[in-house]
Amino acid sequence: MANCCGSNKTQASNVSCCGSEKKTVLLYACSGGANVAEIADKAARQLMFDGQGSMFCLAGLGAGIQGMIQQAKDADVNLVIDGCPMECAKKVFERAGVTNFAYLKVTDLGIEKKKGIRATDEQVNAVVAKAKDMLAKM
Amino acid sequence: MKKIQILGSGCAKCKRLAENAEAAATAMGIEYTIEKVTEIAEIMKFGVMMTPALVVDGVVKVVGKVPDVQTIKGMLA
Repeated sequence: MANCCGSNKTQASNVSCCGSEKKTVLLYACSGGANVAEIADKAARQLMFDGQGSMFCLAGLGAGIQGMIQQAKDADVNLVIDGCPMECAKKVFERAGVTNFAYLKVTDLGIEKKKGIRATDEQVNAVVAKAKDMLAKM
Repeated sequence: MKKIQILGSGCAKCKRLAENAEAAATAMGIEYTIEKVTEIAEIMKFGVMMTPALVVDGVVKVVGKVPDVQTIKGMLA
């Protein structure tokens, strides 16, 4: 908990305080069942912990939670990371009517989709590097 | 009667959003109530993780920004 923007309230760390002057960058990952989805998920979390943005719930958009959809619409940048050519995360965005997003697909980096194997650090780092490169140009 | 809610902890931007919302509603001549929602748990029930945010009749209209009076008029219409 921290003081919020000069108010006498404290702010939970999971709620961003009073719309800072920095660009609002929201990160979403498909977080599905295969290795490429694990890579997408871990990359999004790594980007968040590296200070590149805030990871948000793709499931919330899929569930049609109006406030979460509006939040995505109002973000300066939404980076959507899908694992595979099923493009589920992208479709969630499209169905929610959120069009302002940048897009990254793990399999486009030459990583093969497989069930039953774990993501490696090297694979996650490759996605993080690509994402950082994209975000730096926005 | 429009129900306007301002989600935020009471920071400067939250106050500015409340002022702009009141100014917009007054200029439009509509009947309204305005409520400041400052508790984080209550804010999160709207699916909002950034403040300030403007809610009109239960619908989140804007998140993390302070629109001007003219823009808010469109949100109240």
